[in-house]
Amino acid sequence: MQEKVGAVLVIGGGVGGIRTAFDLAESGFKVYLTDRSPGIGGTLYQLETWFPDNQCELCKLLPVFNRDECSQFCLRRDLSHPNIELIPNSSVTKLTGEPGNFKATLNIKSRWVIEEKCTACGLCAGVCPVEVDDEFNRGLQKRKAIYVRNPQSVPNVYSIDHENCTKCGKCVTICPTKAIALNMPDTKRELAVGAVIVSSGSNEFDVSRIGQYGYGRYANVLTNIQLERLLANTGPTGGELLRPSDKKAPNKIAILQCVGSRDTERNYCSEVCCMYALKESIMLKKQYPDTEVTIFYMDIRAFGKDYYRYHLRAQDSGVKFARCRVSRIRENPKSKNLFLLARAEDGKSISSEYDMVVLSAAQCPSPHLSELGKILNIHTNQWGFVETPEFYPTRTSHNGIFVSGSASGPSDICETVLKSSAAACEAATVISSARHQSETKTSEHEHKAEQDEEAKIAIFVCHCGEEIGAVVDFEKTLASTKKLLNVVTVEDVGFLCQKETLEKIKRSVTKTGANRVIMAACAPYHYYRLFNDTLNEVGIDASMWQLVNFREELAWVHKDKRDLATAKAQNLLAMAVDRLRTQETLTAQVMAVTPKCLIVGGGISGLTSALFLAEQGFEVDIVERTGELGGHSRQIYFDSPQSFVKGIIEKVNNNLKIKINLNSEVIGISGNAGNYKARIKSTDGKIAETNHGAIIIATGAKDYQPTEYLYGKDKRVITQHELQKRLAEWKLDKASTVVMIQCVGSRNNAHPYCNRVCCSEAIANAIKIKEKSPDTQVFILNRDIMTYGFKEQNYTKAREAGVLFQRYEAGKEPEVNTSNRTLTVAVNDPGLPGKLEIETDLLVLSTGYVAEDNQTLAKMLSLELTADGFFKEVDTKFRPVDTIIDGIFITGLANAPRNLGEKIIEAQAAAQRTANLLSRDKIKSGRVISEVDAHRCSCCGICVEVCPFEARYLDEDNKVAVVKEILCQGCGICATACPNGAAKLRSLKDKQVFSMIDAAF
Amino acid sequence: MTKSVTLSVKDGKIREAVNSFLKELFNKKTIDAMLVPLAHPAGTNVVQALVTKAVFVDKADVFAPVMPVNSARLIQSITRLTTVDRKTAVVLRPCEMRALIELAKLKQVQLDKLVLIGIDCPGAYAVNNYPKFAAEKKSDDFVKAGFQWAEDTMLRTGCQICEYPYPLTADITIGMLGLDPSKQILIQANSAQGEEILSKAGMSLEIDSDLAQKRQTAITKFAGEIKERRKEFFEKTKREIGGIEKLSKVFAQCIKCQNCRQACPVCYCRECFFISPTFELDADRYLRQAEKKGALRMPSDTLLFHLTRMNHMGNSCVGCGACEEACPNDIPLLKIFQLAGSEVQELFSYVPGRSLEESLPATAFKEKEFEQIGEK
Repeated sequence: MQEKVGAVLVIGGGVGGIRTAFDLAESGFKVYLTDRSPGIGGTLYQLETWFPDNQCELCKLLPVFNRDECSQFCLRRDLSHPNIELIPNSSVTKLTGEPGNFKATLNIKSRWVIEEKCTACGLCAGVCPVEVDDEFNRGLQKRKAIYVRNPQSVPNVYSIDHENCTKCGKCVTICPTKAIALNMPDTKRELAVGAVIVSSGSNEFDVSRIGQYGYGRYANVLTNIQLERLLANTGPTGGELLRPSDKKAPNKIAILQCVGSRDTERNYCSEVCCMYALKESIMLKKQYPDTEVTIFYMDIRAFGKDYYRYHLRAQDSGVKFARCRVSRIRENPKSKNLFLLARAEDGKSISSEYDMVVLSAAQCPSPHLSELGKILNIHTNQWGFVETPEFYPTRTSHNGIFVSGSASGPSDICETVLKSSAAACEAATVISSARHQSETKTSEHEHKAEQDEEAKIAIFVCHCGEEIGAVVDFEKTLASTKKLLNVVTVEDVGFLCQKETLEKIKRSVTKTGANRVIMAACAPYHYYRLFNDTLNEVGIDASMWQLVNFREELAWVHKDKRDLATAKAQNLLAMAVDRLRTQETLTAQVMAVTPKCLIVGGGISGLTSALFLAEQGFEVDIVERTGELGGHSRQIYFDSPQSFVKGIIEKVNNNLKIKINLNSEVIGISGNAGNYKARIKSTDGKIAETNHGAIIIATGAKDYQPTEYLYGKDKRVITQHELQKRLAEWKLDKASTVVMIQCVGSRNNAHPYCNRVCCSEAIANAIKIKEKSPDTQVFILNRDIMTYGFKEQNYTKAREAGVLFQRYEAGKEPEVNTSNRTLTVAVNDPGLPGKLEIETDLLVLSTGYVAEDNQTLAKMLSLELTADGFFKEVDTKFRPVDTIIDGIFITGLANAPRNLGEKIIEAQAAAQRTANLLSRDKIKSGRVISEVDAHRCSCCGICVEVCPFEARYLDEDNKVAVVKEILCQGCGICATACPNGAAKLRSLKDKQVFSMIDAAF
Repeated sequence: MTKSVTLSVKDGKIREAVNSFLKELFNKKTIDAMLVPLAHPAGTNVVQALVTKAVFVDKADVFAPVMPVNSARLIQSITRLTTVDRKTAVVLRPCEMRALIELAKLKQVQLDKLVLIGIDCPGAYAVNNYPKFAAEKKSDDFVKAGFQWAEDTMLRTGCQICEYPYPLTADITIGMLGLDPSKQILIQANSAQGEEILSKAGMSLEIDSDLAQKRQTAITKFAGEIKERRKEFFEKTKREIGGIEKLSKVFAQCIKCQNCRQACPVCYCRECFFISPTFELDADRYLRQAEKKGALRMPSDTLLFHLTRMNHMGNSCVGCGACEEACPNDIPLLKIFQLAGSEVQELFSYVPGRSLEESLPATAFKEKEFEQIGEK
């Protein structure tokens, strides 16, 4: 067998691709992150805010450990990691080889712009005469033939759109760095990779195909992405909601759900639209409280963790909800207002007028996916999404090729992120033997400045063509700066980002013997890495040079005030000089990592995490409270999941890297990421102490024990699990009517969350009943049917099989009575007067999960719990299995209700996040971290209280605060809270800050 | 529910009655030591003393209208490193007790084995005004005159606008608000420890006595009045010192002696930021600062010193006025600190020293807070 290759090809640079790339890069693999478009970001970059906080927080995707290795900027502006190579404008044309050893051929479309030379000044776009619709803003605005996809593209270079360019040559003439080369040919590139991950995302359904909605003909009918762009600060209106026809703010907006989904052609639920419609309506109500927003829907599928609360929040903020499907839209040709025609639930027709209509368009496969599927030889399903097996939803029909995100079916950010980490986990498992083989080694240069050596500061300033040059008086600035203490040279060298200039700078540093450098150029996310690498080569360490932003924060904001801008330039340089003069060399703290994981809980989630970690080469200890592995999955009585679960248990039992501790509990934890010490107590009273680098919490949840609807009082009232057990043995012969009630003990005041799995379970059981006994009447009393994604087909199937769905409203729950031995269920029909009464033989309650008593464990680990008692993740969307304590992860029902396939994904994701930490033999702290001046410390503990990373504690014996350097993220809150400067932030010490202030004012 | 005993005052001798009560605590071995203000033999001051022999309690004069230092500071000296190992009673004015609670939150004092005895406080004069008073009158006369914040203009400013002249966290309260102290004084147990001590001292506690209710009514009435008086005071203060110009005028007389910092009971740093190396500048820095403006006030950073102190301590300022007392040049520091302090405290609904459980605003992170800030 050939040796495996420790590199992975990731196709698609949206949120999924970015997550996968970071996970693989962090765990020691090389990643080629490719995208068809000129920049990464996918759909994600078109949106600015999302659930639950209606903020961006994209930066939460950034690595937590060894942070100094990669850029820590906004991901909309920069993505750089030594192990990730971005290859935009590329498409895969051929794939050969086998898992572990593929050869991929890429076609890289030429930009007609030389990337290294382009400074993204935009002069070219200014002179370009060709205007076309801007895809990024979905046609709400025009762009030129030479353009950047979004305002701050990654990479931030212009591209020429070959189809529309007239080759007039105006851009070539004006480009100050001679970066434009029309007719530059496309290139081919061959990559050796061990695995491939398809993360090609989805496309918005082409809503113009639904003619009766008039999209494209009626100016004020928009898609939801267009609405997102209108609300975006970087959008065509700068975030102001103006309707296209007359640029006026709309007073009445309708949002229509399920456009292009849940219909005969695409019988799947697009899964994400309910949540974004809720988000958009909340945002609209917040920004424009007087605007009426109505969502027309069939079911509000807010089924994820805390989604139901968000649904309630939308209701509270005044969003209106109308349960009906709109049949057509008509435009008033004069006012351009829109009439909606629909039939309400009670059968009455509705016709109302709106200023703007937003269509929640379904997620459809990317149009290139079918071609890609053929090239990669992977199967796609009837709608064109990549087909995946039931229990490993990131695997494809081709070994070694995995899929994540919405390429395999509609997915929101949270699901995409989970699938992406899971796909990374699968890929890493295939090539774990080649870990660290293809990594880019970061070399560490000896830094020049000794601690007591006198500071010699060299300063280089960039004109950036006319961008800075026209605003700042360089002569004056240079003259005053030259006079400052410790400055050995101040040079005006042209474009700092150009290769030749950087060579010049290196020569100058060597010649002058400078040991500190100031670069006055643009914002750090453009060229920080490039500058740092260059200066490293001449012995200037990252702590010994500073970037001063002369472009965005100076030239751009003070365009018309040359005098003031020049004064500011002088001050900025003086400040930097003053800071660097007293700068100390910063060294990172290094800590060894124990490459072993502790998993608390031996249910399917814990077992899956254990198995994948073991297969990636890590040792695992499982601690299970009961005497048996398998947890809740043992309650699944149908054949295929049963054998799957059994298979996993067998594999775990046979894996020598996994140690199973049954009848045991964790009674104590100390330490931190990379090095935890756990005390494990078994029922026989023995206590063992073990060391682990990371911990996964997979302690599961409890079944809700219903007290409603005569449960426990009447034998005919059972739960869905109990029904399933009977169905497996088929003990239902006598039942001629079965009534199921959904949302028992959930989506109420006591448990305000959706249990996600019960609707699918109820429908599966109902279908089973109908298959065996077609004459049995089955009613499902429900509030919203949560058959998200492809589960919608089962909903249809159940209806076709004659299962009767009857809706009830919250607060008007069904009533159950027994009299004369008959069990009667009465329910309000929203469409009819009076009540529907059903005599039933069996009443099945769809009960979900409630949190275990997690308090003790949470306290032991300093973890937070949600209001519902589940473990709290760092961020629902971007870090769904991470906890606030680094090195501790959560998965399975301990996190939130999920079905079996979703549990596998989440467990794989947790395993991968763990592997990211365990795959390094050492972790490094950041260099800019806090420290304590023990002499000054009053031991008041304020710094400990305010530290968001638990990176400080009080040493009560010595009356002093102590920093856990590995955990410190250098945020500086402690230094701000400490009144007398005993808490200090390296490289931003009070003395430096004060001298900078002095220099400025 | 209140639990209290009534202390009868014979022949109007308030001081004697209180002292005999305090002495009884010693005699019945309910406590081993006591920090209590004793009259100085010179007759010109009343100073805190750590007493271990009951006989010294005869010299106690807890209502004497003088507070040379805020005693929270003293307790900090005693307990910062270790807890006291015997029961130690501390007799404190309400502002001293509030400062003590703030220091406890900041881990600068350890309350273990301390018994907090608080007094209803009729206020105090400046230390250098006290001899004048003492030459003519006794503390009993002062107490008998009753609470007269607004009328007695010789009272320290802080006392004139005091919001809490009654203890908030005492184990035992020596109460007289709303009562006639020349006849009766109320000894109230406010905690389990307080109850235990009073019962051990042989006093039988009465539940919700008339006297206790009378005092409570007086407190409620006072709370309403003082709000108005403080509002008026702050409005006037704003007119006097509001704005950077007037503020720098007020601080024109500052010599940066930092006495205010030394006297402040909640200014707790072991070593002040302003004597740290951050402010040890080389000549070049001084000269460059001077060059920028042409002239540099020396000692430098005077206003910065006060603003920083206000930033650090504003939330915990109990309004005791020790800073103003300590100022050699009569800068109205109490006014400035109370004006700013009460506004920030109100923003966080925080009352310094109200309860040990109430977290310092700087350490209490709330996800939903000040949402109006930064909104478009």
